[in-house]
Amino acid sequence: MNKASEMQTVVEMTRSIPCAPAILPKLLKLTEGSAADIGELETLITMDTGLATSVLRTANSAYFGNASRCDNIADAVLRLGSKTLYRIAANTLTGRWLVHPLRGYGWEPGDLCRHSLCVAICAEVFAGFTNLADSSTAYTAGLIHDLGKFALAYANLSALDEVASRVPNEYATWREAETAILGYNSSQVTKALLETWGFPSAFISVGFYYQSPSQAPDVDKPLVTLIHAAKHAASQLGYGVGADGYYYEPDEKCLAEAGFTEEQMDAALPEILSAMQRFVAADGQIHFN
Amino acid sequence: MAQRPQPIEDQMRTLVVGVADFKISTDPLTYIATFALGSCLGITFHDEKHRVGGLLHVMLPSSTIREGQKIRPPMFLDTGLPLALESMIRAGAKKSHIRCKVFGGAELMLSDKFFRIGSKNIDMFYQLSDSLELDVVAWEVSGRVNRTIRLDNQTGEVIVKVPAKPEFIR
Repeated sequence: MNKASEMQTVVEMTRSIPCAPAILPKLLKLTEGSAADIGELETLITMDTGLATSVLRTANSAYFGNASRCDNIADAVLRLGSKTLYRIAANTLTGRWLVHPLRGYGWEPGDLCRHSLCVAICAEVFAGFTNLADSSTAYTAGLIHDLGKFALAYANLSALDEVASRVPNEYATWREAETAILGYNSSQVTKALLETWGFPSAFISVGFYYQSPSQAPDVDKPLVTLIHAAKHAASQLGYGVGADGYYYEPDEKCLAEAGFTEEQMDAALPEILSAMQRFVAADGQIHFN
Repeated sequence: MAQRPQPIEDQMRTLVVGVADFKISTDPLTYIATFALGSCLGITFHDEKHRVGGLLHVMLPSSTIREGQKIRPPMFLDTGLPLALESMIRAGAKKSHIRCKVFGGAELMLSDKFFRIGSKNIDMFYQLSDSLELDVVAWEVSGRVNRTIRLDNQTGEVIVKVPAKPEFIR
């Protein structure tokens, strides 16, 4: 099989995983702005039983609950508000996708989910003190930035073991080794997946360029740089970081040009940790609701 | 018929320490574990004679980064290390018997201006362990590797797991 068709097979194989995050772009569009169409949101949410359950459970939780019980999606949407709703959907859909048992990268079950969640939270916090992106977009981009790695690991390619064994002695970065050994890399797979699912071009740029933000198209560079910063900050915290985690090169020039400083990023870590510990227990168990 | 004794391994319980947390145990049949250290440091304390063990998972070197704000002392080395030492002594350990081991402090590649928490944590630990006169008997720090550790409170041995590699003991 040639490399291009092997990569296409990797992308195709992910179709067999139930409930891929393909509805996220539509949900993002529906929930952005102030006037979300409740009817359309209800239709979209009820298409996915697991998602509908999460939405109802959260609407009736102690935090959101009030005297009256919320027993339909339309009421839940009104009670939660579009931002919270989107957050639940993004976590539920990508989380469910990213916890499958996998080989490659030395991940324990759920590691990619923990790591992606940490990148999402870092991106959201960084978005709060930069003007690089709005917080919902930043959060989603963090969740989906490395889906290609999931697809590669799910395809169970034996060549992944060779990649792991040849970094760092023969190849300085994980991406160099993937490109040399597989003939393509995980960023290309992420790009192909997001294109297949119809994600907006800014998210596709994140998937493809987050390791080298200087090369991103100018229009997408702020979001790509934000995810680059979030990725490295999350790697420092360690959540779900696999064997590849520290073999990516930070683009310090790009970070400095975007206005990041080391002090600012270090000072944000306590807030990031607090947010992360709302979702992930000390033993690594993930609780999205 | 006499029952066969349960193997020690099956009797061990595990106490899990989160990020920015410290836990202590006086039960020898306990593992004290923490997951995925990244650039954080995991510091184990063990007094074999008095059967007290503890594990501190710190994230940042200095609490000055949160000056004027409420802090969680185990989040920082400068506040977490003295706290851990005091707690060990309060639980019955003798300072002269406490052996420390330090793990973590992973670093990113080629980073001059950003993401240097791993090396800053290690530098701060050197300074503080010196001023607190800690007996540090094992260092498993730095490098580009995410470590999960488990202190065997019976022996003081620490079982280390890194992604895609077999466990080893320090």
